[in-house]
Amino acid sequence: MSATGLQNATPDTRQIVVETLREEVNVWLFVVKTLIAFFLTGWLAMRLDLPAPSTAMLTTVIVANRQSGMVLAKSFYRAIGTLAGATAAIAIVAAFPQERDLFLLALSLWIGVCAGGATLYRNFKSYAFVLGGYTAAIVAIPVIDNPPGVFDSSWARISEVLLGLMVSGLVNDIVFPSRMRDVLRRAAREQFAGFVGFVRDSTGGSIARDTMEKAHLRFVRAAVTLEDLRSSVIFEDAEARARSNHLRLFNQRFMAASTSFQSLHHLINRLKRAQRDLAADTLIRLYAPIGEALDAPIEAGAAARVLLPRLVSARDTMRASVPGLRASLSDSQDVRDFDTGASLLTRFVDELHGYVDAAASLQTPRVIAGSAERVRFDRGNDFLGAGLATFRTTLTMLVLGAFWIYSAWPLGSSAMLLATVFAGLFATIPNPTRVTWQVMLGYLSGMAVGFICEFLLLTQVDGYGLLVVCVAPFLALGLVMMMTQRLAFYGLGWAMGFAYILSLKNVQVYDPAHFINDAIAQVVGLGAAAVSFVVIPPAIGSAWLRRRQLARLRGQVALAAEAPLPGLRHRFESVNYDLVSQVVAQTQPGSADSRSLIAWALAVHETGRALIELRHDMARGDVPPTLRPYLDDALRTLARFYEKPDAAGYLLARDAVATAIASVGEHEGVAHLLEHLHLVRMALLDGESVLAAYMPDASLTKDIAHAS
Amino acid sequence: MPREIALGDALVPGLLVFFVLALLLLWLLDGIAGRLGLYRLVWHPPLFRLAVFVCVFGAFALFMF
Repeated sequence: MSATGLQNATPDTRQIVVETLREEVNVWLFVVKTLIAFFLTGWLAMRLDLPAPSTAMLTTVIVANRQSGMVLAKSFYRAIGTLAGATAAIAIVAAFPQERDLFLLALSLWIGVCAGGATLYRNFKSYAFVLGGYTAAIVAIPVIDNPPGVFDSSWARISEVLLGLMVSGLVNDIVFPSRMRDVLRRAAREQFAGFVGFVRDSTGGSIARDTMEKAHLRFVRAAVTLEDLRSSVIFEDAEARARSNHLRLFNQRFMAASTSFQSLHHLINRLKRAQRDLAADTLIRLYAPIGEALDAPIEAGAAARVLLPRLVSARDTMRASVPGLRASLSDSQDVRDFDTGASLLTRFVDELHGYVDAAASLQTPRVIAGSAERVRFDRGNDFLGAGLATFRTTLTMLVLGAFWIYSAWPLGSSAMLLATVFAGLFATIPNPTRVTWQVMLGYLSGMAVGFICEFLLLTQVDGYGLLVVCVAPFLALGLVMMMTQRLAFYGLGWAMGFAYILSLKNVQVYDPAHFINDAIAQVVGLGAAAVSFVVIPPAIGSAWLRRRQLARLRGQVALAAEAPLPGLRHRFESVNYDLVSQVVAQTQPGSADSRSLIAWALAVHETGRALIELRHDMARGDVPPTLRPYLDDALRTLARFYEKPDAAGYLLARDAVATAIASVGEHEGVAHLLEHLHLVRMALLDGESVLAAYMPDASLTKDIAHAS
Repeated sequence: MPREIALGDALVPGLLVFFVLALLLLWLLDGIAGRLGLYRLVWHPPLFRLAVFVCVFGAFALFMF
């Protein structure tokens, strides 16, 4: 293939230099943008006479991101989180103005719930939750001795945080923006070209299971990346927002078509393995027109529309050739396999047509308003993991709060605040203990540098311009480190520690004793967050959560077999893709865990889709009452087997499906149900699939022959 | 200079309220402009958006005086 040829060619020196320079330019652009946002926010906050300009400035450091769409998306959710947090703070203070124990308990619970909610989302919605907890803490804790001050405190914090968000959003949007929209467009185009190319290249015959698994992984990633990008880009670009539904539809159709395509190839592979070459080859011949139809250059602009008429004519050719090819088969088993394959192929071509159609309507310059069908991308969330995060954060807050009360430590509030921020921020990443440790080191060095800056430099200068000159070099150092792979978290700690400890305000206070006390409180807060991650390890990335997710994935078959039908196809596909991508992100590629996951995912996809199609057909036509119990029985035993796979359940499911097939054969006019049942049966009997572990020792070839 | 607005008898900085309202209005205008493809006629959409926001926010601020 041409792609491998490209990779093997050595890039020349000039190209390497240009690449390196581009990378450097990106880093420095980020630094400059963040610095502009930081100081502009500080200046505005001081001009507007806000009580704590440093809060606004710290906010710009927290939202700093290389992609401007990201900054806007983050800012949007952060604004929501801030407002929610301030509201919660007012409610908590109003409920317990005199009771510090209950006050701390309520606040800890709120912060815990926010940290738990943050783990449920993989995009920037999780920031809204982190900010909800953090804002409640920064509004409520300082006024613990003066409850009536909560209104002033909350308005001041909301103004500061919103100002910081607004300025950094604007700066990133206007000064040399790097657009997420382009990334999204490229992702969509790559997904389309990749899938169409894969379909075209594989018309030649069977695909090895290995290639199939890799392709499946690639498709899953493509689908989930597209959805994540979409949910961010809609904040950056109003046109993308108008097309948001089209994009969703495009993605859903992609998932549906790729699942059918895989089922088709599994079928061909199985036939080949069972030495049933005639049936397999006939299917491949039937499928050849599609490959020819797709054989057009797809890089050019209006490509997708070009493919549409070609696909339609290919579908007609295919339909016309079905009777001829069918007649060429003499063996009754071959004919039945051919029928199964042909119906699968028809399904696939219809879905492919829909997918190409969606791509074509995305590529049209005008937005076709309101014409897209509304679809959702459902997520497979794990609520127990979120519960764990809630429990951990609440516990940390309670311990810190108790320590604060009993030691009467004047700066206990400071420690609590920082613990809140980091317990929330890092609840969503796989290895928080190491990361918190790195951030703590960075924070310490940032504060040490802050000491030098504040007491040796700032005391010598006057005016905002000179302040910028003194502060910028130290901050820039941290920001550069944030952009390097290895020191990213160290740099984050550095920049945050530095920005926090300077606590710039209109009338700057120089008090070394308070500075050092505050620094100690900060370290205690960070340390508490780090310890909490050791004591109650996060669920993300643990074997326990992986097992749960795998069980959830298998449970998808039960969903396919038993959930109400409307919208089920989309729900099944999107939850599947989301679950698989979550587990893939948390496992080493090629490890035993990752391989068993993909094997299960393939089996679940194939069987689940076939069951959904079967149920659709059952709902559409009249099923004789004498037949229905057998079909229901097959659905039920399959669902139970996938929920709790064991050898006994396997036998039950296999026999139930066989009985259903036999009884369909005894009834008139329900032959269309047979194809789906055959597909399920063949997936059950596949000796190479993950289900092989539950099979009794029987000759594989014979079983497949029986099946068909 | 800071005028305050009473929200349920709690005094709130007027500028902040108008700021949030202006943001909401901008969100609406932005959606309409995106749907009609107006941003295609503009050289630098974010800059244009900022200009519109300044106009909206400035017009709102007139209510205060």
